[in-house]
Amino acid sequence: MNTIDCRNLACPAPVIEVKKALESQGEICVLLDDGAPRENVTRFAGNRGFMVQEEQDGDGWLLTITAGNSASVNSNQAFKPVGVVLLITSDCLGNGPDELGGLLMKNMIHSLLEAGDIPQKMIFMNSGVRLTTEGSDVIEALNKLSGMGVEVLSCGLCLDFFGIKDKLMSGKTTNMLTTVETFFSGEMVIRL
Amino acid sequence: MDNRTVIQEGHLLAVFNSVHRVMKAEDLLKKLGLQVLLIPAPRVLSTDCGLALRFCNDENNGIMQALSREQLQPVFVCRCIKAGIFETVWKSEENNIP
Repeated sequence: MNTIDCRNLACPAPVIEVKKALESQGEICVLLDDGAPRENVTRFAGNRGFMVQEEQDGDGWLLTITAGNSASVNSNQAFKPVGVVLLITSDCLGNGPDELGGLLMKNMIHSLLEAGDIPQKMIFMNSGVRLTTEGSDVIEALNKLSGMGVEVLSCGLCLDFFGIKDKLMSGKTTNMLTTVETFFSGEMVIRL
Repeated sequence: MDNRTVIQEGHLLAVFNSVHRVMKAEDLLKKLGLQVLLIPAPRVLSTDCGLALRFCNDENNGIMQALSREQLQPVFVCRCIKAGIFETVWKSEENNIP
C-alpha cells in the first residue's frame, strides 16, 4: 500500500490529496499533522465508508485507509445528508443590524458547502424566502446544496405575501402542514 | 468542477480582513454593475474571519480600478488554479491595510 506525505500542508489540501490518492489507488496510508488535518481526513474517509486505522508517528499520525463495504470517493454519494433540518425564518442571522445579519446569513449558507455534513432539509419561512428567490446572493450555493441532496423548501404562503411566488430560484415550495410534520419526524430541527 | 464550492477554476478572490471594508467594497462594485459575490474566504487562505469577493477575470480591471479609486483595496487577490489551490496575483503594498 502506498504512503503519501501530507504533513505541513494547510487545510483543505490534505483532504484533496487523500481524495485523489483514493480515487486512483483505492487504499492508502497517509502521514498527517495532528489536529485539523488528521480530523478532516478521518471524517472525509469515514463519511465515504472507508475504514481508518490511526497510529501515532512522531509529532504526527499515520492513517491507514482501507475500503469498507460501501466505500466510495464520489463526493455526491459520500456527503449524505444527516437528520438535521434548518428552519430559516429570516434573511438575517441573529439579532442586530440587518446589514450584519444579512452578511452572516450569506456566510453561513456558503459555509455549509465546506462543512463535513449537510442538512436533510432547509425550510425557508417569513423573510427567509428572500434567500431562495431572484436577487439573492446564495442561489448558487443553495442549488449546489440541492444537488448534494439537501431538500430546499420555501413557504408558499410567505412567497405569496411578498409577491415573489414566480421568483423562486432554488428548491420547491412547501406548506405549513408539511413543515409541522417535519417537526415530529424525528429529525433535529435547528431554527436560525 | 468541484461541486462543494462556489469557487471554480479561474475565479479570482479579493480577500479582505475587515468586514467594514469588504461590505463597502461589495456595495460599491454592485452599484457599478460589476458581478461580485461576497463569500467566506476559504480556510486555506485565511485563518481568521476573512471575507472575500469572488469575481471572474473579465471583471478584474474594472473591479481593481474601482477599489483603488475608493481606497478599498483588499489585502490580496488570488486565482483558483484548481480545487483548493490558489495563486496570489496581486498583493497590497501597504502593510497597514486592515
